[in-house]
Amino acid sequence: MRTPITSQSTGRAHACPAAWARTARVAFALMFTCLFGSLLALAAPAAPAQAMEIVKCTGRPNSDKDQTTIQGGTQSRITFEATVDAGEGVESLTILVPEGTTYETDDLAVTLLTGDDFMTRVDPSYTLESDERSLTLTFEPALTEMGRLNIIIYGVYFPVAGGEMQVAASYTLAGDADNTGHAIADIPVISVEGISGPEALSQWLEEQAWVQAWNENRFLHLFFDPTILVTSFPVVLTGFFMSLGVVAVAFPLAIPLGLLLALMRLSKIAVVRGIATTYVNLVRGTPLFLQIYVAFFGLPLAGIDIPNFPLGVTVMCMNSGAYMCEIYRAGILSISKGQTEAARSLGMTSLQTTLYVVLPQMFRLVIPNLTSEFIVLYKDTSLLAAVGVMELVMYARTIVASTGSITPYIVAAVFYLIITLPLSKVTRHLEDRVHGGRRRRRAVADAAEKGEVAHA
Amino acid sequence: MKNVKTMLKAPVALAATCALALGLTACGGTATSEGSAATGSAPAATSASMTMNEGKIVFATSPDYPPFENLEDGEYVGLDMDLGRAIAEELGLECEYTNIDFDGIVPAIVAGGQADAGLSGISVTPEREEEVDFSTPYYIDNQAVAVMSDNTELTEENAAEALNSEAVTIAVQSGSTGADFAGENFPNAEIVTFPNFTDAFAAVQAGQADAVCGNLAVVEQMLSGAYADQHTILTSATGEEYAIAVSKDNPELLEAINDAIATLDENGTLETIVAENMG
Repeated sequence: MRTPITSQSTGRAHACPAAWARTARVAFALMFTCLFGSLLALAAPAAPAQAMEIVKCTGRPNSDKDQTTIQGGTQSRITFEATVDAGEGVESLTILVPEGTTYETDDLAVTLLTGDDFMTRVDPSYTLESDERSLTLTFEPALTEMGRLNIIIYGVYFPVAGGEMQVAASYTLAGDADNTGHAIADIPVISVEGISGPEALSQWLEEQAWVQAWNENRFLHLFFDPTILVTSFPVVLTGFFMSLGVVAVAFPLAIPLGLLLALMRLSKIAVVRGIATTYVNLVRGTPLFLQIYVAFFGLPLAGIDIPNFPLGVTVMCMNSGAYMCEIYRAGILSISKGQTEAARSLGMTSLQTTLYVVLPQMFRLVIPNLTSEFIVLYKDTSLLAAVGVMELVMYARTIVASTGSITPYIVAAVFYLIITLPLSKVTRHLEDRVHGGRRRRRAVADAAEKGEVAHA
Repeated sequence: MKNVKTMLKAPVALAATCALALGLTACGGTATSEGSAATGSAPAATSASMTMNEGKIVFATSPDYPPFENLEDGEYVGLDMDLGRAIAEELGLECEYTNIDFDGIVPAIVAGGQADAGLSGISVTPEREEEVDFSTPYYIDNQAVAVMSDNTELTEENAAEALNSEAVTIAVQSGSTGADFAGENFPNAEIVTFPNFTDAFAAVQAGQADAVCGNLAVVEQMLSGAYADQHTILTSATGEEYAIAVSKDNPELLEAINDAIATLDENGTLETIVAENMG
């Protein structure tokens, strides 16, 4: 068990940049003088052959944008890990944080990872000295066990402008005759991006009095937190395009599929009818959720290897096709038998009758239902989130999981409504046109009458 | 400040009603927010009991994460579940679990009414600390990356470098420490998130992803069970801390849980629970 971490950390180092620069310059000057001096002296015993080597030096991604971006001006964390050789006797380690970076030392975690796989944790005892730019750990006793020294610095804020952040580190050994320290070479830089517009806006909002008052209300805070609203909007927008992409491809493909199935179901050949009926019943009788699972994890095992997006589109298309089949079938059956009989009596073949008489009338009838089907299909793309297709809900969900606020779901709801609300209106309008031919004529007559009244 | 707060109250109630009417039910949070909007001025802390129901503590958990939490024959089993029962016993309360998706647990604790505390392998992060209070950490988490055993391109020897490549797809659970670890250490790889950790393994099995990254104990558990033809190629002692999430409005409960954890730590129960479940 490690020491408990405090839930509120306040010890963030603050200082003006000029002071850092000065401190840094002085520190460097000192270091160089010492190094030069020791070289001149040369009487000192040679440094040990082995040296601490860097294992990793990373920053914690802290952007809602994606999982790998580290941005400035937002809380992050530096993980620094270097090797310690057996018997080396590391006495102290100094870490120089990048210029313009602030950090806290309250929760500093210093662990020596030992064992064959470096999975055994040892908590070395140490004393800490720190200022704005650097922290020095003095180990008592010196580290002699073979392992990796892992240091996690919390409460790190990289400069707002971002850039390539170089952490520097040096160490001293117990056998050292002087205190010059040995630099650890080849520490990887941490690439930090400048703070993005929405994130900057979010941080600005967070400081506003009205936002703080707003967030004091638990409901508003959980569902409509302005700070999360602005950061999740662009992220969820990316997913919106993905969802739209899926329906934009799946829906047009489902139209001919549904038609084919409908014609098969109305066929006189029993086998053809049977195949279509079985397919439609299977698809309509099971949840889309299950079909997605079966397709994503079952098909690849059967040797059919398709990337995520086409696979998602295929499942949505095949599902929608079955529902459309029923829409078409109802449409075809609703066309009066007299139409077919009349066409046939004029000498049209069965195919001609279907193509030129039945289908054109049917399409006019089913357009409102097809629009509803489009809305359903668009909403159902959310189910693809379960299998790793990065669509609307998945993006929202990722932010919900990391922030613990419901706000991104509300943003996602807005993106669904942007499409579904206008479409519902279109559907209603189309329904009026299909069923209300007479009503429309009357409305036109009424309008004309009113016009006359107005003129008069 | 006070004025603004009062001014906000009326629209709040309205907004709550609207949201309810519209049925914007995301993760079951709405039902409880109605309660909190109505009783907003009378915090739960003033009542005699520090839990929702007298004599009972309700933990929210997402039982898809063995060996931390899992459902076996309808029973909640795992490290967290044993810990929850031990804490409840320590507090003299009855222990109850309620099943909430992982990403819904913190919002549910904030909203209140669904559960008293979140106990589901939740790691302490600065973002979550803004929403809820965390207890003393009870477990330190390590990370592991697993691939199919017949994968020759990703091996134990080259794992650290080879995984950080654009050609590699890594499956993770959304919002997990594994997702953070993959993002921090393999920024070049493509990271695919799944709401359910089991599905991340299935994705590797099905060839949708090359590797799966997550908690070491969980990975080992999965590999010893349904996914025996995968193997671990990289482990890392990361030091993410698991803790119990408690509402910021309920410091009494937080303190009680912390005391209970301290007692369990001292008398060795915590160690026994970890050993039993991580065996």
